[in-house]
Amino acid sequence: MAMNITRRDFIRGSAAAVLGATALGQIPLSAQEKKTRVILIRHPDALDATSAFNEPVIQQMLDEAVAKLLDAGDPVEAFKLLVKPEDIVGIKTNVWSFLPTPAPVEKAIKRRVLDAGVKEENIGLDDHTVRTNPLFQKATALINARPVRTHYLAGMSGCLKNYIMFAESQPDYHPDSCASLGSLFLLPQVKGKTRLNILCALTPQFHGRGPHNFSRRYVWNYKGLIVGLDPVAVDSVGLRLIQAKRRKELGPAQEIPPVPKHIPLADTKYGIGTADPAKIELIKLGWLDDVMI
Amino acid sequence: MRIVRFLIILAFPALMALSGGNVKDFGPQIPKQVLDWKAAGDDAVFSRKTLFDYMDGGAEVYLAYNFQEVFVRKYADAADNEINLDIYDMGSSAEAYGMFSIDRQDPEAGIGQGSEYGLGLLRFWRGRYFVSITVSGDEAKAEKALLELGKKVAPLLGPDGAPPEMLKLLPAAGRKDDSLSYFHDAVHLNNRFFVASENILNLDAKTECAFAEYAEGESAFGVLLVVRYPDEAKAAEAAASFRKSFLPEADADGAALTGNKNWAMIKARNALLTVVFDASSKEYAGRLAAAVIR
Repeated sequence: MAMNITRRDFIRGSAAAVLGATALGQIPLSAQEKKTRVILIRHPDALDATSAFNEPVIQQMLDEAVAKLLDAGDPVEAFKLLVKPEDIVGIKTNVWSFLPTPAPVEKAIKRRVLDAGVKEENIGLDDHTVRTNPLFQKATALINARPVRTHYLAGMSGCLKNYIMFAESQPDYHPDSCASLGSLFLLPQVKGKTRLNILCALTPQFHGRGPHNFSRRYVWNYKGLIVGLDPVAVDSVGLRLIQAKRRKELGPAQEIPPVPKHIPLADTKYGIGTADPAKIELIKLGWLDDVMI
Repeated sequence: MRIVRFLIILAFPALMALSGGNVKDFGPQIPKQVLDWKAAGDDAVFSRKTLFDYMDGGAEVYLAYNFQEVFVRKYADAADNEINLDIYDMGSSAEAYGMFSIDRQDPEAGIGQGSEYGLGLLRFWRGRYFVSITVSGDEAKAEKALLELGKKVAPLLGPDGAPPEMLKLLPAAGRKDDSLSYFHDAVHLNNRFFVASENILNLDAKTECAFAEYAEGESAFGVLLVVRYPDEAKAAEAAASFRKSFLPEADADGAALTGNKNWAMIKARNALLTVVFDASSKEYAGRLAAAVIR
């Protein structure tokens, strides 16, 4: 599917075009059409003065976010809506050495999955070996958690790209700016199993340089988590954050990394979620200083 | 015949020195210790086939150039701050220059034929080699060591090589030389200067692109891209594709006013395509294009 977005689209200010909307806010939703809920939660103490993660605060952030996402009374009740005691739960994390999924996020997820009644031996955490990990092979539920960052080819690495380790051949998903990443969610090992997506925006990376596309100068302490049931909507919100930061720090000319076309295509071609900001209900909780979106 | 063979054998080491050679041969020549940092673990070499094992998401950037192989050495200090030395054999000096040119943002460091240093990242090129030295951890503490290591490595990479001939097509007046870039593929163009999500200029490994930003005073500015295609027919196809996707309302001069009240223009001649983006006026866009297509 051709989906050409040009520099002129961005010059015209139609940034929403990248996400599949014809123009931001110009599509009135019918009263019956339910928006896809995404929670952005931030806390000023999520990282301390030395940029170390604050585990109790991160647990609290995840708890509040998931409870609000599901309109549940408390976090355990919320997680019980996501997983059942008989589930085998694979937590798909990300171990990229420069910016991995923070350990406190992994622990916070696991704690609540345990609280929901899942046996410890039925909970797995993995990244590179998910395809062959016996627990992930028989998993009945997946939880998807990783940091948000720019990516030289895909434009942005988020929850959609996090599942590339389920692919038999990762390079098969690289052509055309990784346009087909959405199809990963249709793989038999994955399809229909993802219960929760957590895009870690605690220390997002808004630009990449050097051989590994990482430099600490392009990472900032945003102290947020973006949480949703829909990986496309979660990534769509993450992209807005990255664009806003790039516009602020690098200027309008570099607002856009290579267009992350895999996000709108995950919606329009693979049908696995909602990319259009006009169809996303973004609920912001907690600390709002420099929230940017 | 025997004499010719004998001369070839005699000349072989010199020819190897001129053309570069195998990157693993750098191992014994590069110091194992730089200030507080000592070599840690085994040296490694990655080829075009194995580069994906070394880098996540960046391999295509190198493969879109004529990357051959990379020598990798890690150094660690007592606090486990890690320095990574990468020496990339890019196959030719033009390609090494290109790899250096597409990601320049920092001040010159005075190493090799062109260099830059900024917060834990030293990049430079010499001959057919592009070098990247990075640190994970305390960037400020590592700065001296990075620069020291770069100065030790640069002399091993000689002799100097010529930058791409194609750069000579870009007019010098008003050119911001730190924006000068040489590349082949759409992945490079879009990271350097986003044009379109689709490859509307039909760029690939066989196309050569020269790029620079221009400013003359405050009122004359623009961005210039020159593409050389393998033949005239391919240039014409690309011109038609670009006009259709980007400048459908282009006038007889190939120019149109774009959304930011700046001008874009496209000109083709033989196998060359010249595109001007974000120009302050049609007249300035025309001047830049005419300086190339003359």
